[in-house]
Amino acid sequence: MLALLCAAGCGLALAHGAPHSLVKLDFLAHSVRAEVLVPESELAFAAAAESASEPFAAYLPRHLSAETPQGVAWTMEVRSVSNTNYLDHAYLSAQVEFTPPPGASARAFVLVDDAVTHEVRNHVVVVLARGTGNPAVLGALQYPARRLSIQQPVTASAASRK
Amino acid sequence: MNRLAAAVMCGLLLVVNAAPAADAPCPRPSTGNGQVQAVMAAIKTFQKTLKPEQRKALERPFTRESAILWSNLPIAVVPRKGLRLGDLDEKQDYAARRVAAAALSACGLKMLDEIRIADNVLKRVDSRKIGWDAGNYFMGILGTPSERKPWMLQIGGHHVAYNLTFNGAHEGATPLFFGSEPIYFNVGDTDYEPLSAQSSAMSTLARALANRPEAKLSGTFTDVVKGVVVIPVEGHLPTGGTDTGFPMSYPTGNTDRGVLYGALPAEEQALVRAALESYASLPGAAITQPLVAAYESPAALAETYAGFSGQPDLSAEGSYVRIDGPRIWMELVVQRAVADHSKLHYHALWRDKQSDYGGEIGPQ
Repeated sequence: MLALLCAAGCGLALAHGAPHSLVKLDFLAHSVRAEVLVPESELAFAAAAESASEPFAAYLPRHLSAETPQGVAWTMEVRSVSNTNYLDHAYLSAQVEFTPPPGASARAFVLVDDAVTHEVRNHVVVVLARGTGNPAVLGALQYPARRLSIQQPVTASAASRK
Repeated sequence: MNRLAAAVMCGLLLVVNAAPAADAPCPRPSTGNGQVQAVMAAIKTFQKTLKPEQRKALERPFTRESAILWSNLPIAVVPRKGLRLGDLDEKQDYAARRVAAAALSACGLKMLDEIRIADNVLKRVDSRKIGWDAGNYFMGILGTPSERKPWMLQIGGHHVAYNLTFNGAHEGATPLFFGSEPIYFNVGDTDYEPLSAQSSAMSTLARALANRPEAKLSGTFTDVVKGVVVIPVEGHLPTGGTDTGFPMSYPTGNTDRGVLYGALPAEEQALVRAALESYASLPGAAITQPLVAAYESPAALAETYAGFSGQPDLSAEGSYVRIDGPRIWMELVVQRAVADHSKLHYHALWRDKQSDYGGEIGPQ
């Protein structure tokens, strides 16, 4: 269940800036869980560009994936999708679980994401690792980049490996 | 409003009395026109008017952390540092304006004034506690003003961010963000259009390129491409919203960057130069003349592209125009207005791929 994104900031417009996507990673012992937040306004442009009308749970796997550094695909499961708001922007939030192939480490992988960036040129996907303290920014993707090498940060390990 | 309007008039009088610079891109130079000595002298006078706590707010170290602290978001979402101009008394305000007048061109000072006035106009139509206010603009001095060593002057708030670097490894007029909501407005008997010169130049260029398929950029543009990024934080205000992505990566190759300057007839080439000069006319000419010379060198122009998306006349949301060269990155986008959804507003950004922050700031 998602917490409300905005408590302190509700009522403020995120004025004068297009909203971006956020991928928050939790590194588990044998998999990586991700909360994927995609602003609906920007997703609408991306879906329209490829005449996509399927539910977000079906759209997302066509644009989001993970693979080993050597290029072997991880499995991906969209566990749930919900709606949320942050600073006057509506987002879709997907809970996703990535699982590496047998024998591959769950600590390093390549995240592939162009759910919005294949169409919206100013859109940025910010990738964070959740841990004990403030989330660590692992990197960002903007067109034409759609692949980001991810390494589990040291600070994320203690909290998540259980 | 009256005080700012009076200050605008005062500023205009200041520039009318200034000696013109023959080859300045802005037809009306300012009192200092970006000369480091003039800016330093104005700062020294300004500092003498300030209380110790005000000087502390004004002066910060020239570090990456300080330099990238600009945004295009209202201050309630991304708080700023620096000395708040709305807190100055009359004498201090006058001295602060002299600093701005020394560093900027008359065009740049006028735009700053009008963008601040636009914030007050927004207050009338949007009562949310967002921070619309002409007073919510800030001045900061990063490092120690010097004729030789690098330092920065920052002037900015919601819709403008001047980041001027003096004595940097390269001339430093950028990053320069500016925007306008509303695009047009009037106060009393005066009509304002803060980005008139820049939007007009970019639109004229886009309209000239409209029938060239290679000038049409792919994709959708909902904001400037190399701007700031906000990171939502559950239950709190966001983080980011400043130039944390610096240094930026830029398109390479010759695909989807627009039409090459060299492929254009002379009259359209002139429109490219006019558009870039409309941006470069905002800081003082002493800062920007070397940049314009670099951008307009034959070698640079040979690798410069101009492209657009959406409506060339900028009449619709998502319209976008860009000039992209070896160093130059200038873009303008049309967005839906935030305070009054029935209207549009502009965001514009000038970056230099080599000399943002004078080339003095590195990666995190």
